Amino acid sequence: MIDPTEILGVSAEATDEEIRAAYLLKVRECPPDRAPEQFERVRDAYDMLRDPRRRRRHRVLAADAVSPLAAIFGGQTPSRRFVGPGPWLEVLKGK
Amino acid sequence: MRQLISRGEYRDALDRAKEIHKSTRTPASEALLVDAYVERIRALIGRGLIVEAKALVELVRDRHPSSRRRLDGLATPAAADRRSLDDLVRPLADPALRVDHRAAIERMVQRDVWDLAALASCEALPAGHGLRTGAAALHRAFVAVTSGPVADEALELPEVSRRSPLAPWKLLARAIAHFHSGNREACEQFLQAIDPESAPARLVPPLRAMLAGEPAAPLPPHRAGAVGAPGLSPAAAALRAAITRKPALVRELEALDRAFASRSRSGILKLIRSAVEECRRESPARLEALKQHISVRCAIADLDANRVIAAIGGRSRHDATFNRLFARALEETRDPERLVLACAMWDEFRRTSAQEGWFADNSPESAAVSLHIAGLLEQLPESALRELQQSGRRNARVSGRDISFLFPDDLYRRACVLDPHPEAFSRWMAWAVRQPGRHADSVAKTWHKIRPQDVEPILHLMDEAEARRAFGDALRYLTKVERIDSLRPDVQRRRLRFLAGSVIDDLRKKRPAQAADAVARLAGLPEAQQGDWPAVVAALRTAVSVVRGDADAMAACRAEVEALLQGHATAAMLLSAVATAAKQRAPLGRVEDLSSDERASLPRALTRVAMLAGELRLALELPRSWMVEVARQFPATREALEVDELRALAQWAGQAGNVQLAYVATVEGLARGGESEAGFLYLRAQALTGSPERRIVCARAAAELARDRQDTELVEQALAIARGPFGSELFSLTFDQARDVLRQEKAASAPPGQRTPEPDYGHLIPRCQCADCRRTRGEPVEPFDDFGIEGEDDVGLELPPDMPPQMVEALLDAAAEAARRGESFDSFASRVLGGRSPGRRRQARRKKRTQR
Repeated sequence: MIDPTEILGVSAEATDEEIRAAYLLKVRECPPDRAPEQFERVRDAYDMLRDPRRRRRHRVLAADAVSPLAAIFGGQTPSRRFVGPGPWLEVLKGK
Repeated sequence: MRQLISRGEYRDALDRAKEIHKSTRTPASEALLVDAYVERIRALIGRGLIVEAKALVELVRDRHPSSRRRLDGLATPAAADRRSLDDLVRPLADPALRVDHRAAIERMVQRDVWDLAALASCEALPAGHGLRTGAAALHRAFVAVTSGPVADEALELPEVSRRSPLAPWKLLARAIAHFHSGNREACEQFLQAIDPESAPARLVPPLRAMLAGEPAAPLPPHRAGAVGAPGLSPAAAALRAAITRKPALVRELEALDRAFASRSRSGILKLIRSAVEECRRESPARLEALKQHISVRCAIADLDANRVIAAIGGRSRHDATFNRLFARALEETRDPERLVLACAMWDEFRRTSAQEGWFADNSPESAAVSLHIAGLLEQLPESALRELQQSGRRNARVSGRDISFLFPDDLYRRACVLDPHPEAFSRWMAWAVRQPGRHADSVAKTWHKIRPQDVEPILHLMDEAEARRAFGDALRYLTKVERIDSLRPDVQRRRLRFLAGSVIDDLRKKRPAQAADAVARLAGLPEAQQGDWPAVVAALRTAVSVVRGDADAMAACRAEVEALLQGHATAAMLLSAVATAAKQRAPLGRVEDLSSDERASLPRALTRVAMLAGELRLALELPRSWMVEVARQFPATREALEVDELRALAQWAGQAGNVQLAYVATVEGLARGGESEAGFLYLRAQALTGSPERRIVCARAAAELARDRQDTELVEQALAIARGPFGSELFSLTFDQARDVLRQEKAASAPPGQRTPEPDYGHLIPRCQCADCRRTRGEPVEPFDDFGIEGEDDVGLELPPDMPPQMVEALLDAAAEAARRGESFDSFASRVLGGRSPGRRRQARRKKRTQR
């Protein structure tokens, strides 16, 4: 299972307000009509983190022993890397 | 005209060409005119009149679209040098610039200007000029979207209007932002909106190529054709490679993942070494975590520990993180043996977490771990767990190790004490209910003591009190429930039942005064005035009069019961049920003495009393002659009975052993159709005591139909019949098969044993493949088939002839459990009986025979 804190982009020690703010931000990024699957993941993550007991249980017991190592350790690296304006301008300049 | 051109007289050549084209209007004349324009433009460029040249290019492009390809070769990139950009935009600073001239320049800006920074700082325009401020805002946005995630607000860019020549840049910035955020469809929307003649359109092909190269959700069909670009320019290809290239560590880890997934062990150590080395270089802070993950996965894959340690460059740290990861990996395998190891690792995690200061050993977090371990233990077969607990106890005596993690009761108790939450208690209770003895009662008492406002334990204690006929206790618990939740729908009916039970209990103990008091209390309840309850109260009063020996009162009460129920037979059956419960004599009399009308209404009367008896939990027994008469009268009255009445009748008849009556009641019940079909099919299964295979198939089908209606209670009841006494799942049915069984059962209106054929479910039940059964079915049997099959003395367990039947049953249960968890028969026999396995005993016997 993907870490709900990662889905919402909050730290494990995030406060209720921070979790709610992150949730609202994510919902704006992935509204249910445009990205239903992403929205569902975001909502599930929020449901888990908003309940203090579930959040605590998750914090204590969660460990990803199944996902591919590349996903666990490369998860921070987006599949589309930000390379800065340079290479983009080269294309524009080249016509 | 060609001569004029060759002499450098371009203007004259152009004028002549215009005249010719004006008069002829042919493609040839247009080509000639374009040639003249091209030469004129070249001449302007040659004289450094870039602005004029570009304006002329735009004019020709507009008037003669066929000339665009040729003109593209002429256009000088406007931002190639600062001077030409300044020259291009300088006229825009003039407020008196002609409209068409301004439009032509703006078109060139849109098409050719790629350097936003240069435009933003272009001194040919005043500092506050819209083109400069727009270019500056766009430049900032462009740098931002290509460098990291950007909020939507940052891309609103109010400085750039929709009519601005820079508007396509705004669309491009948004397309890039959506591209990076993974919103493929939005990205494509913005790409489609970019003017293909504008400078930003140069980035559309590489962006589309990157979108097309990903296995993301497919675009809608109307956009699918737009994706993909044949042949990218070198710069575009370089951009694509730079964006989509994965870091080396990810590439190494992907290779390692593939090796783990393929279960191929060759070269895996080399891949581990490479991944660790790359992580050391690229992300040293995460090295220890990676080593722990690799150690755990190698342990699960049964790789040699020493070689793995060497490959990862030393043992990984065995801290709380490692223990948790290992525990999780073990439980994910779902293997019973590894589940036990997972429990041990979770317990170790709890201990190390406390040592490392993650959480205190008496914290709610620690409770969560205990609860989790208890849940894992519940996944183990009961017998295996008992065995483990026994061997654990033996070892603990020597090692002194705490083995409480093997005992769900200890774990639940610990969790509930550390974090007394209803969810924890509820799970403890659910486990305790499945345990033998009265363990659930003590759990309920503990729960009630710690959380007196929770209703669930009180309900359990109330039911338990009723079961041991402690109606006083049951009523006290009921009062508590009422105080906590006065709106519970079943409270009042339970109160009636408990009071009636209390009366009967007093009558059994010959305490008429107390019984009379309880009857009075019962009669005073508003609910006792509804339905047939007044008749029940009168019947209880009759029983009190019997104990008191008050014949007049008894006769008056009997008359009252008859008046209330409006039937002698109904009253007689109710009085008989109450009297039997109170241990009094209550002969029903001869059925022949009933009038013909009363005999005709017997099925309905019986149904009415059966429903009351069921509510009061009284046994209703009828003499055989009465049952025969009910069955005889049923066909004439069945259509008048409601579905609930039919159900009650079938239930009562099944429990009373009158399977014929139960069967015919289900015939009518099934004919009614609707939502009650699954319930009547279950009752049909109950009635089929003489047809074991058909009974199981009906029960299976009832379970499937009930499952479809999410009636879990009926599913459990039906499965209890389907599994039989050994609790084994012989086969299953699909929903369609269940519907087919229902159809056949509806058609089977005659009870079994009569001459009509019964439904044949042979195709639904797996056939026994033993040699005897195959012979019986007339199937071929090979000479060696008689060896090594079930039922042969030489193969099965050799049980001592004096072994008590209970022990034999327990042994068979354990054997069934062992088979379910995949243990071989030989291994089971060897483990349980000790010594050699039956297989070895067989070999030994054969050897002995040979020696003889």
